[in-house]
Amino acid sequence: MSNKNCSEKQEREDTLLIIDDDEINREILYHIFAPYYVIEQAENGEKGLDFIDANVERLAAILLDVMMPGMNGIQVLNHLKESGVLDMVPVFLITAENSDKVMEEAYQLGVMDVIKKPITPYIVLRRVQTVIELFQARRRLSSQVRMQQENLLAQTEKIVLLNQGMIEALATAIEFRSEESGNHVRRIHDITECMLSKTPMGEGFSQEEIQDIALASILHDVGKIAVPDSILNKPGRLTPEEFEIMKTHTIQGADLLDHIPQLREHNSYRYAYDIARHHHERWDGKGYPDGLVGDEISVWAQVVSLADVYDALSCKRVYKDAFPRERVLSMIRNGECGVFNPELLSSFFSVEEELSKLYVKGEM
Amino acid sequence: MNAETKKRLIEGGVDVEGALERMLGSETLLLSLLKKFVKDGNYEKWLISMDARDHEGAVEAAHALKGISGNLSITELYRLFSKQVEELRAGRWEEAQAMRPQIMEAYERATGAIRELET
Repeated sequence: MSNKNCSEKQEREDTLLIIDDDEINREILYHIFAPYYVIEQAENGEKGLDFIDANVERLAAILLDVMMPGMNGIQVLNHLKESGVLDMVPVFLITAENSDKVMEEAYQLGVMDVIKKPITPYIVLRRVQTVIELFQARRRLSSQVRMQQENLLAQTEKIVLLNQGMIEALATAIEFRSEESGNHVRRIHDITECMLSKTPMGEGFSQEEIQDIALASILHDVGKIAVPDSILNKPGRLTPEEFEIMKTHTIQGADLLDHIPQLREHNSYRYAYDIARHHHERWDGKGYPDGLVGDEISVWAQVVSLADVYDALSCKRVYKDAFPRERVLSMIRNGECGVFNPELLSSFFSVEEELSKLYVKGEM
Repeated sequence: MNAETKKRLIEGGVDVEGALERMLGSETLLLSLLKKFVKDGNYEKWLISMDARDHEGAVEAAHALKGISGNLSITELYRLFSKQVEELRAGRWEEAQAMRPQIMEAYERATGAIRELET
């Protein structure tokens, strides 16, 4: 128990170190400060430095004489400055010195205050205590600020994760309605991310933008929420009227996203809006809803449109079985699902080997 | 501290009131430190350095004695050592030497009064 108390005491900054070669001066200072601090004494500069090296954490302040045999006070100060101790522990020069040159040097080295001998107890006590309290308050404050910063960061991270979770939940809910598993949206996310990080399609995008686009890709079919079950889950071919209704999921999706104010402030919003509306546009202008041609279609909408086709062909859907990989690739190459940007296709084929690993049996 | 002791110390050149203030009123501490002053080696060092015309040693000893006599409020001795440190630092050796009898006289007067306390 007594050991524990002792070690606790040592961990706080409660110790005052007096470095003075003269015993009489040390005793006077001891008598003044002993009621408030644990007092340690060193009779020369070398012993003082040794103590500081081993005990810097428990030091509240250092009282330092200037003229001492061997290493003098200014030399001690120089050492303390080099080792960075002067930034952590306030040092006071206590001296009979009158020379302006010495004072100036001491202040330049970073001494907190110079107190002249013969000392006046209440002045020494007050000056030293005020500075010690200042240092302790500063330390408390900076550790408080650091803790608050860490809390803020952790909270921000939670909010970001929650946002992503909400977006994924919304997208998955919609996929479930069309009797697909949540894996479709996850694969679209991964394909988009892979195409933008590993092929020339991603040139000019930062890692952060790529993450925002990949997250936005999840919402590409969000407009299907406005398409009736009878059309969405129809096993056979859609009639022309039904197909017209199906096509509206692009515009409906963009409108829906536009009506969520919190989403508008999200970095992913501008991508999500554009992808929802334009992921069925085609390079030759024969897509929908706006019939955009070539570069009129944004890079992210192009990437997601190809990812969507690739995933649809590779998996079983209510209206079709899964095609074998060779067949999927030849259909894409031959433009059977619409015409894609040639650069997009070559980028796609350069990473398709890796993408095909997403379609391991049992995970679709 | 009785009135007689206090009177002797004042005659010896000690500003007892001032010194007690510095000791936060502790007579025990003051008496103990005055006795240590008598045994302090700096006076010996000072005498030897002055004899040997050891400039550096003389400054060191005079400076230390200035600090101690100041803190113990041995007022006259403090004034003399302060002046001598200035002379020595300014390189006025002869002037510093000339102060020697005065300083010795003030030192003997103070230590003499303190020694009487021990009996």
